[in-house]
Amino acid sequence: MTVMSTPSSIAPRILISISDLRFSYGPAGAGVRPILEGFDLEVRESELLSIVGPSGCGKSTLLSIIAGLLRVDAGTVLVDGAERTEPGPDRAMIFQEDAVFPWRTVRANVEYGLQMQGKSRAERHRIADEYLRLVGLVDVWDLFPRQLSGGMRKRVDVARAMAVQPQILLLDEPFAALDVMTKEQLQLDFLGVWAKTQLTAIFVTHDLEEALFLSDRVVVMSRDPARVIRDVAVPFSRPRDRTLRTSQEFQELRGELAEQLRFETGDLEAIEAT
Amino acid sequence: MSTLRIAAHSALRPAIFIRHRNVLRRLVVPLVILGVWELVCELGLVRPLILPPPHAVWDAFTGMKGQLPGAILTTLSITLTGFLIGTAIGLAMGLVMAYSVIARDFFGTIFDFLRPVPIFALIPLFLLWFGIGKPPEVALVSMGCAVILGVSTSEAIRNIPSIYIRAGLTLGARRSGIYRTVIIPYIFPHLVGAIRLAAASAWGLDVAAEFMGSQQGLGYLIIEQQIYLRTAGIFVLVFVYCILAIVFDVLIARIERHVTRWTERRSAKGIVASIVGSQ
Ligand SMILES: Nc1ncnc2c1ncn2[C@@H]1O[C@H](COP(=O)(O)OP(=O)(O)O)[C@@H](O)[C@H]1O
Ligand SMILES: [Mg+2]
Repeated sequence: MTVMSTPSSIAPRILISISDLRFSYGPAGAGVRPILEGFDLEVRESELLSIVGPSGCGKSTLLSIIAGLLRVDAGTVLVDGAERTEPGPDRAMIFQEDAVFPWRTVRANVEYGLQMQGKSRAERHRIADEYLRLVGLVDVWDLFPRQLSGGMRKRVDVARAMAVQPQILLLDEPFAALDVMTKEQLQLDFLGVWAKTQLTAIFVTHDLEEALFLSDRVVVMSRDPARVIRDVAVPFSRPRDRTLRTSQEFQELRGELAEQLRFETGDLEAIEAT
Repeated sequence: MSTLRIAAHSALRPAIFIRHRNVLRRLVVPLVILGVWELVCELGLVRPLILPPPHAVWDAFTGMKGQLPGAILTTLSITLTGFLIGTAIGLAMGLVMAYSVIARDFFGTIFDFLRPVPIFALIPLFLLWFGIGKPPEVALVSMGCAVILGVSTSEAIRNIPSIYIRAGLTLGARRSGIYRTVIIPYIFPHLVGAIRLAAASAWGLDVAAEFMGSQQGLGYLIIEQQIYLRTAGIFVLVFVYCILAIVFDVLIARIERHVTRWTERRSAKGIVASIVGSQ
């Protein structure tokens, strides 16, 4: 693996700018501890950013805020310089839970967003076919999701989100529930798809190796309240393949970040013990 | 050659037996009841006025043949009309109340108030308001079905996993789009139980309605048989009601199988099916 001096995506334009975010579940200022407070983050155009952090630190919450599904108490989320408080297909999201509509066939699932945009039947068919092929799904287009494996369902989910041609793709631990083999295959396939579209993507995971393998930049989050405690540019060139995982540079970086994460969670346990 | 035929022959018998085993098993209890029934009557243990023997019921049936088609038509039209109107109203009420806070505020109280009211207690009022004849009967059946569907619809909507709504929103659906493409398809299979319950209740409501003041129909015939102390005739009419209700239920179950083909339970096979039973 060649190690480059600069991150592979040299796109200086900031697409998402999050500043001084404050969010708590339940009524604001009612003695509830905020999940996010004074949270800042910037994401460049065409960047694949990973966010790692201990479970329950607010990663899903952050993505939901960016997606427009949750209202913040304070602070702003600017996309392309404009605040977007409503959910919309410009920020497609792939959820941690299984979100493929079980009452729709595979093809009808992928056509969903296009149908909402009022595209014609022929157009929907054409685009859905394209994205289903892109994620490597063939021969299952007329099946219902219950007839698919977990990995295939995730592929449908990815195809469905990408078919609306979003500006930003938000992924919330999309492969966390899969077995290792399926997961690694999906990671590789996802990289392939992403390379073709060059979408700006925020990939949330609790798996450091996954974060390093996929992304241009990794952000480590702390808990209570959530903050960015580490921001690392991933120096590995693309295209990447399986061998990257076993390379020394990869393992060293992984070890270093793992130490930091352990420190973060260990620190927290110490606080909770008191 | 001959040994082969023997083998085939002996293998065939259990196969046929197995294929019809379910039917045979289902017939056991009814046949036993029929036998005991005839026996009890033959031995003179009960008076025919209380329990006429099966053959007397058959005689009553042949005697009523002329009246039955008209009565069945009347009853069917009341029950089906009431069922369809009531189901539609209940479904619409449930959806509207889930969709709009304003509608919930306006109708919620009334609905909560009406829900526990025993419908049969309203019969005299319905007669006063709608007069004697079909309208009050249809209204009664409708109201019973509407309450069942209304409650089940709002319950089903409340139980939709929010993940599907969130997914729909991030894919560009608006509020009305979510209703059309997420909520309605999701709740439909969950309403099948309620629809079957409403259908079953519709027959009961129809009988009650007809008891009050019908001039035709199966319920009216039951009252007539009662006046002339023709117990066997009552049995005939009860059987007719049973058959109608079962046919109707089977038809709904057919439709159910089509609408719920995406759900998990249709694929339940093996151990799970053996524990909870399967159709
Ligand atoms: N709907 C909710 N209502 C109240 N608290 C919630 C809700 N969802 C999540 N939380 C809490 O907010 C915190 C952050 O949750 P989440 O964003 O899901 O974390 P992560 O995705 O990093 O594991 C957790 O402590 C969780 O218990
Ligand atoms: Mg999460």
